[in-house]
Amino acid sequence: MKDYQLGEFEEIVLLTVAILNGDAYGVSIKKEIEDRLQRSVSVGALQSALRRMEEKDYLSSKFGDATSKRGGKRKRYFEITDIGKQALAYTKETRNQLWNAIPDIVFKFSWL
Amino acid sequence: MALKQPPKLANRLLKSFCKPQYLEDIQGDLEEEFYEKVELTSGPLSPLLWYWWQIIKLFRSGIIRQFKPIDSTQKEINMFKNYFQIGLRNLWKYKLGTIINVLGLSTGIAAFVLIALFIRDELSYDQHHEKSNQIYRLTVKNFNVDGSMSRQWAFASAGHAERFKSDFPEVAKAVRFYPWAFPDVYVDGRKFQSEQVVFADSDVFDIFTLPFLQGSPQTAFNTEQSLVLTRTSAIRLFGNDWIKEDIIGRRVTLERSGMKAPFTISGVMEDMPEHQHFHFEYLAPIRFIEQVFGESAMDNVTGNYNWLTYLLLQEGANPKDVENQKDSFFDKYVGQYSNGTDAKDYYGFELQPLTSIHLHSDLEGEIETNGSIQQVYIFGIVGLLLLIVACINYMNLATSHFSRRMKEVGVRKVLGAMRSTLVKQFLTESFLVNIIAFPFAILFIELALPYLNDFMNKDISLNILTDWDILSALAGLLLMVAVFSGLYPSLFLSKIDLTRALKGESAINSNKWNFRNWLVTFQYAVTIALIFSLAVIEGQLYFIRNSDPGYKKEQIVNVRLTRNIKSLDAFKNELLNHPNIIKAAYASRIPTGRLADSWGASYQDGDSTVSVDFRLPFIWTDEDFLEAFEIELIAGENFTASQDMTTDSVGYYIINRTGAKALGYNNPREVVGKKLSYGPYNDVTFKSGRILGVAEDFHFESLHTSIAPMLMLKGGTPRRISLKISGDQVQKSLTHIESVWNQFDPENPVSYAFLDEQFDNQYQSEMRLSTMIKFFTGIAIMIGCLGLIGMVGFIIETRSKEIGIRKVLGASSMSIAATIGNRFVILIGIASLVALPIAFYLISGWLNEFVYRTDISIFMIFIPSLSVLAITVLSVGFQTVKASLVNPSEILKDE
Repeated sequence: MKDYQLGEFEEIVLLTVAILNGDAYGVSIKKEIEDRLQRSVSVGALQSALRRMEEKDYLSSKFGDATSKRGGKRKRYFEITDIGKQALAYTKETRNQLWNAIPDIVFKFSWL
Repeated sequence: MALKQPPKLANRLLKSFCKPQYLEDIQGDLEEEFYEKVELTSGPLSPLLWYWWQIIKLFRSGIIRQFKPIDSTQKEINMFKNYFQIGLRNLWKYKLGTIINVLGLSTGIAAFVLIALFIRDELSYDQHHEKSNQIYRLTVKNFNVDGSMSRQWAFASAGHAERFKSDFPEVAKAVRFYPWAFPDVYVDGRKFQSEQVVFADSDVFDIFTLPFLQGSPQTAFNTEQSLVLTRTSAIRLFGNDWIKEDIIGRRVTLERSGMKAPFTISGVMEDMPEHQHFHFEYLAPIRFIEQVFGESAMDNVTGNYNWLTYLLLQEGANPKDVENQKDSFFDKYVGQYSNGTDAKDYYGFELQPLTSIHLHSDLEGEIETNGSIQQVYIFGIVGLLLLIVACINYMNLATSHFSRRMKEVGVRKVLGAMRSTLVKQFLTESFLVNIIAFPFAILFIELALPYLNDFMNKDISLNILTDWDILSALAGLLLMVAVFSGLYPSLFLSKIDLTRALKGESAINSNKWNFRNWLVTFQYAVTIALIFSLAVIEGQLYFIRNSDPGYKKEQIVNVRLTRNIKSLDAFKNELLNHPNIIKAAYASRIPTGRLADSWGASYQDGDSTVSVDFRLPFIWTDEDFLEAFEIELIAGENFTASQDMTTDSVGYYIINRTGAKALGYNNPREVVGKKLSYGPYNDVTFKSGRILGVAEDFHFESLHTSIAPMLMLKGGTPRRISLKISGDQVQKSLTHIESVWNQFDPENPVSYAFLDEQFDNQYQSEMRLSTMIKFFTGIAIMIGCLGLIGMVGFIIETRSKEIGIRKVLGASSMSIAATIGNRFVILIGIASLVALPIAFYLISGWLNEFVYRTDISIFMIFIPSLSVLAITVLSVGFQTVKASLVNPSEILKDE
């Protein structure tokens, strides 16, 4: 089985791109994360994560049409690729395995 | 509002590091959010800060583009080859321009380096002693009754050193030098006359770093009659081959005043280096002269300032702590005088750091003439200014020179040259010119150094190959000058408009007031300031030479007496026994010297005795002194031949007018006959005496100081005889003086000096300064002229069409020359306004060192501007007139 490396932040970004489904570009992704997770995201962190995952082929991107809004500059829309989906699935799977492996007693004690 | 826009600078920063393929959307994202934030927040500041912060956070791998692809190095090298080649071709093509450029730069650099070498030399004095920062020279201050300082001596009393060592824990070692012995030295029957054998305490080798060639510092002073030589004195005594034999243990005989003593050579030192404020060639133990003088004679703690004394303080000790103990010192060793005053009120100490002596000390009886820190500052400023002027010159010439190459610049731009490429190209060319100029500069330095050394009494050399400091400093200078002088032309030329460049038009409208005009103004300002300073210095020197010192300095020969002249009267009579010698007068000190001797005084006013609370120095004279120097006696009588304070044990005084005034008698007649007790003539030791006469004021000391009260005493021990000789047949008079001398003292050669030369010698440092400033002004003017020629050439070239059209429309040649020339009048005007006040301020500081000084006249203020104007007209007038005479059809036919 292929080894999918995905960092925590990368996972969040990848999931958010999937959530936005076709409307994912820099600002919308950033806002979505900030809204849902209540944490602030810097453009630098986000962009470097996006580009890194594009390199790894988890994401693909294309320019949108130019609008007058943002100084005439085009948006770059990101879309999750099949490999990206597999990486997400793999990550989720490994997490589940780990969850399942925890003996019940650990949580029982902590809930006392 | 501008603040509601994303900051441009931040965007540029982003652009500079972001991968180009990411730039558009990232910047878009940023801007989108920025505008949103501007809408939401009231102030503009927080979105701006946010924007900057985001961009800074984008500075991470994955976003940053790759810099400098590796294959570009080769390309750069190729481009540099091209710049180099083009540069060389251009230098070759415009030979005259290149020569002017190289000449200007190399002269400026040479002047700067010479001054830098001089300053480096001045600053390096006494640094070579290992413990130099712990060594201090003990100097003694004398105070007047009113508490003001009267004199500060470079020498101390004989009894100081030993007591300092035993009483003050801060003092680790102490050495006295006694440099006044001058015995004759006999080696194997050969005689070496009046050698300066310096007697020193044995601590000398622990305090100063004195490397030995033979023998060792530990054994050097083992016996009382040891003699340490230096390389030079060893060669003198034993010839050039002394080093081959062991001269330790050789015997020599020292003789002085008929007393002979055998000495043994115990060591040979390296010569004392040039950068040391004293140079001795023989050292002998002071214990020997202790025997000769007697220990009691060497025990005094006041007066007899003949002992050059240095202290080695403990590490970390503060010299102030030593100075502050002077009260207890004098209480302990002197205490109270018979008249009820305390000795401690009259004396003080200052410990001078060894390394500051050369530049900061100018005390009574300095062992050698020291440098002056002021001179270092003046030369430093002048050197820097000259270098800047040379750079400016290059900037001007290069700019006008490059503007001939507009088309080349245009074509390069069309072919894709970026601004940075062009800057690199022009900087390469400025490096080329500098690289050519530097060898010339070094040549100029080598040519000028012997003269400078001769003039400044120095031994500076430029060892480029062995002295790495100099080599690296020169390399640094080359880099600095090349960049500084090349940056402006290259920036200026690379920014010009492409279309205009291709049309071959000039880069700028030369008629506009631009940066280059400021450069020329600066050059003018430096020249004007230098000429102004020179005018003032020369004015002051003229003032000095033509001011009446109050005595006649012409045709007076001063002969220094020796102990062998026993019968003063016979000597004098024999000298006067020649028609050309008109007058002869004995004196202990003569005008142009210093009034260094002084005693305490009190005078009788009616019934009460008033003690004199100002310094009243004296000289010993005889009855012919006033007449020989043609000093007027304004009241009372002159001395008579028979009066003699030494044999009569009674005081005979003549006071000067200022002295009479200081005693409270504005009418000199009233002071005549007043009883004055002076020094030992106080009715206790000897009888006090009366003031016999009053002499008109005269400048005994230089014009740096004001005329002070002084006394002339009759008798005593004269040290010189002053001879007034008739104007013609000076040589005959001198021959006579010499033959009489040989009768009375066959052992020593006669030593004489002309008073007017001694008078001029008082102002040697001023004359030296004047010569140096003249030299530098010459250089500044030369460089400036070169620059002007280049600049005018440029103006004429760029305005040739304008000139043509003006002529066609009927302008006269004169008016055209005026349109070109009037700018220079404005530049000179501005430069004068800037330079004169600054120069005025600086030179006033120099002039204030003189109590008697010339006024800075209107003439001196206008001279610099006018002469600069004249120089301008002379150097560029021809070009200008030639341009205005040209046939307009010649110029206009191009289009």
